[in-house]
Amino acid sequence: MPAGAHGFPRLSSLGSRLVIFFVALLLLVNGIGAFLVLEANSQIARQTIDQELERGERVFRQLLAQNQARLEQGAAILSADFAFRQAIATNNTGTILSVLRNHGARVGATVMTLIALDKTVVADTRDDSRIGKPFAFPALVDAGIADGKASSIVLIGDRLHQLVVVPVLAPDPIAYVGLAFEVDDAAAKELNQTTGLEVSFLSGMADGGWRLHASTLDASLRQELVASFASRAGDKTQAEVQLEGEAYETRIVQLATQQGARVAALLQKPLSVGLAPFRRIRNAYFWLALAGLTLLVAGSLVIARSITRPVAQLAEAARRVQDGDYSRHAEPANRDEIGELAVSFNHMLDGIQSREREILRLAYEDGLTALPNRAMFNQQLEQAVRTARREAQPVGVLLFDMDRFKAINDTLGHPVGDQALREVGLRVRTALRDSDIVARLGGDEFAVLLPTGSSEHSVQVVAEKIQAALEAPLVIDGQSMDIAASIGIARFPEHGEDAASLLRAADVAMYVAKRDKSGFAVYDPAHDERRQEFLTLLGELRHAVEAGELVLYYQPKVSLADNRMSSVEALVRWRHPQRGFVPPSEFIPFAEQTGYISAITRWVIRTAVAQAGEWHRAGLGIRMAVNVSARDLRSEDSLVQYVWAALLEAELPPGMLCLEITESGLMDDPKSAQSTLRKLRDLGIATSIDDYGTGYSSLAYIKQLAVNELKIDRTFVAGMEADRRNAAIVRSTIELGHNLGLTVVAEGVETDHELEQLRGFGCDMAQGYLYARPMAADALEGWLGAARDRAALRSSVGGALRGG
Amino acid sequence: MTMSRLALALGLALAANATRAASIEVQVRDAAGNPLGDSAIYAVPASGGTEARNGRAAIEQVDREFVPYVTVIQVGTTVTFPNRDPILHHVYSFSPAKPFEIKLYTGKSPSEVVFDKSGVVTLGCNIHDWMVGYVVIVPTPHFGKTDATGNVRLRDLPAGAYEVRAWHPQQRAAAQAQSLVLDATGTARTSFEIDSPARKPRFKPPLDRLKY
Repeated sequence: MPAGAHGFPRLSSLGSRLVIFFVALLLLVNGIGAFLVLEANSQIARQTIDQELERGERVFRQLLAQNQARLEQGAAILSADFAFRQAIATNNTGTILSVLRNHGARVGATVMTLIALDKTVVADTRDDSRIGKPFAFPALVDAGIADGKASSIVLIGDRLHQLVVVPVLAPDPIAYVGLAFEVDDAAAKELNQTTGLEVSFLSGMADGGWRLHASTLDASLRQELVASFASRAGDKTQAEVQLEGEAYETRIVQLATQQGARVAALLQKPLSVGLAPFRRIRNAYFWLALAGLTLLVAGSLVIARSITRPVAQLAEAARRVQDGDYSRHAEPANRDEIGELAVSFNHMLDGIQSREREILRLAYEDGLTALPNRAMFNQQLEQAVRTARREAQPVGVLLFDMDRFKAINDTLGHPVGDQALREVGLRVRTALRDSDIVARLGGDEFAVLLPTGSSEHSVQVVAEKIQAALEAPLVIDGQSMDIAASIGIARFPEHGEDAASLLRAADVAMYVAKRDKSGFAVYDPAHDERRQEFLTLLGELRHAVEAGELVLYYQPKVSLADNRMSSVEALVRWRHPQRGFVPPSEFIPFAEQTGYISAITRWVIRTAVAQAGEWHRAGLGIRMAVNVSARDLRSEDSLVQYVWAALLEAELPPGMLCLEITESGLMDDPKSAQSTLRKLRDLGIATSIDDYGTGYSSLAYIKQLAVNELKIDRTFVAGMEADRRNAAIVRSTIELGHNLGLTVVAEGVETDHELEQLRGFGCDMAQGYLYARPMAADALEGWLGAARDRAALRSSVGGALRGG
Repeated sequence: MTMSRLALALGLALAANATRAASIEVQVRDAAGNPLGDSAIYAVPASGGTEARNGRAAIEQVDREFVPYVTVIQVGTTVTFPNRDPILHHVYSFSPAKPFEIKLYTGKSPSEVVFDKSGVVTLGCNIHDWMVGYVVIVPTPHFGKTDATGNVRLRDLPAGAYEVRAWHPQQRAAAQAQSLVLDATGTARTSFEIDSPARKPRFKPPLDRLKY
């Protein structure tokens, strides 16, 4: 299972990328939003506080003014008090001091000073040391003269006071009285209660530092306030001051003073108070963002899952297809694009599956017969051999092809041939059990694999079934044709350890069956040895041509009309240095199979033509007949040219040469045969159809061929005595040949009876042991001499017979 | 009592003489040259000051004001303070020349005050702060008060040397005294310049509104 298909998606997966993207997006947007909101909130809070402070300052100033007015009023009332004025008027210092103390206490003044009109101190409640000295705040006195009252914040000693100066009227001013009210924590507290702000009073000292006089702040904060305020200087009107970690928005109110002293009132409010409502918003925002984030993560996981799960399923399905498993379709999860993809995928899957099936079919099935082909058969065979080896069971293989199938193909055309093969396949398939595997290996070659464990007997039964199935003639397009199969049988384990050797063994057996015309043959290791021998022979054959091991024997062809030997047929013989005499049937077929036959043919033509030329010059007048294979005909030009060159070389007239071609050879390639024959006839060379009657050729076809001679196959001649029908065939063939203007030659004539019959049928010439076996050239010359002696005798015999 | 009658008779006799006697005409201006009324002008004979034994004067309270605003009297003069208002007044003085107090009363002055020392007494009312009046107590019978044009004539002065002095309630500084000698019938003329700002009347609430 892929890691991404289940559980939490990997970081690189589509799902987690989606989640990360959405989360990042939300965080970004929320972050910016939160930043903006919080920033705005903080600004609003600051502004709110600032406004509050501003308002506070106004209230504060008003309060100060009111306070001042109250004090002034109090002072004025005090100074207008009759007893007070009376006491002042006494000019008695003790009395004055006591009335100052008494009346000062009434209004809460801390210091009372009586000032003469010349601004010298008359009396002071603190002590007498100032008496007679100038009053410390003469400007206030002047202001008092002008306005009837004056006041200011002043420093008396190191204490901050609100000093009020009013005249003592009687009813003209007789003196001034100064009332000082200390600005202390209580005063600050009073201001604080009205403004709601923290209020502190500071004064600048000569050394630039600041001294705190009164404050509503806790004692612990005061020192810090002085320190931080000093560092900020008192010039600004607004500042933020940190006190014990809390930010205080601070408004600095410079107060008018006497003596050039700097006095400031600080109005403060903690920012946190202003921020408190926004903090609630911020918290709400935070929880909202958290909830949103959670929902988003969950939502995008669900969406991602809904995308990635079908995708992962598709990927899994694709992986199954890759592994060759077409059995399961991808399940379209939704009706979305991925669902469509899944549907398309399934269509693709079906397409691949059907195409692969088709490819497999094409790869493993024979297109013509719909039977398994060679590849399939090999697979099955290998499988069967494996199983058989494991279970120690036998396996049977049959291999067969049609005898002379090529002739059907050539004479009736490939469509008919194909139909014949289909019919053969169908018949064999129908004849056998379903468990038997019937395959067409190619061409006309078929194979049957019997189920593992089939006995030796059952293999033979199958072979017989095949033969039986093919017994009835094939009827194709109204044409009936006989077919026969040669079947080779091989069995595991005795004939081969593996599929390849089993097939080869069956092939060898098939060849043996074909050669022996036995129908079927079970493989015998001896076959292999024979075959090996043949192969060796073939190699030696090449050598033989070059080393001159081949010799030509000549068999006379005797004219029945005058018993004269008018021509000879050149037959090749191989005198093997070790094996001795090798019969042509043992090397000619192989030479034909390998194509080496043309080399042999050429040698034969050259040698035979040369011999004929010799005889011709000797005046013997013997026509030379040479056998030409079907294969030689195919390379028509080269054969014609070669023959012509040989004739020229041997100075032999073309009419003294006859080329014999087997009927089956003509049927192999009728077109080129026809053309070659025509060219040869044009050159004046005689041609003959050899082994007539074995090739199924129709007379219509023969008629078209430019041949001079027809040679009736020896099997008909030999069978004449046993079967009248054969004699009838021979006779009708002779008549037919004559009708077509051909010379008719009977082969294999061995008895006088046969000879007489042939003579009776009007056969032109005869060839056979009755006259002579094939013999070497010098032997033939000897025989020829003797034959002349016998000529008369034979002639009389023939005449007697004819007469009988 | 007899003594005072005698003095009065003597005074009248002197006055009869004075018709043929000398007088002093004084004009007072302020620093800007404007005539200054309500200035006390008095001439003290070089031979020394005198006291009046039976002189009398009255300073009324009318419409919550002292009337007259400035009163010049010879030392020894007895002054009454009749209250013509329907409300009470409390007349007082904290001046060293004559501190006194007449507590709340109306109508006839409940007591008389003898000003026996020369000097200036500032009068006030303890319940009406804007009420102010001045009593200038001089050691000579030759005194007067400038009118609105700033002029005053002192009559019937016997010939002799005099020191003429001037005083004004709003004066910033005392004016320099002037010495002059009068013959029997001559009329001396002199003038004073007194640096004094204009009188600033104090706020006086209207009666009808506040029902004082």
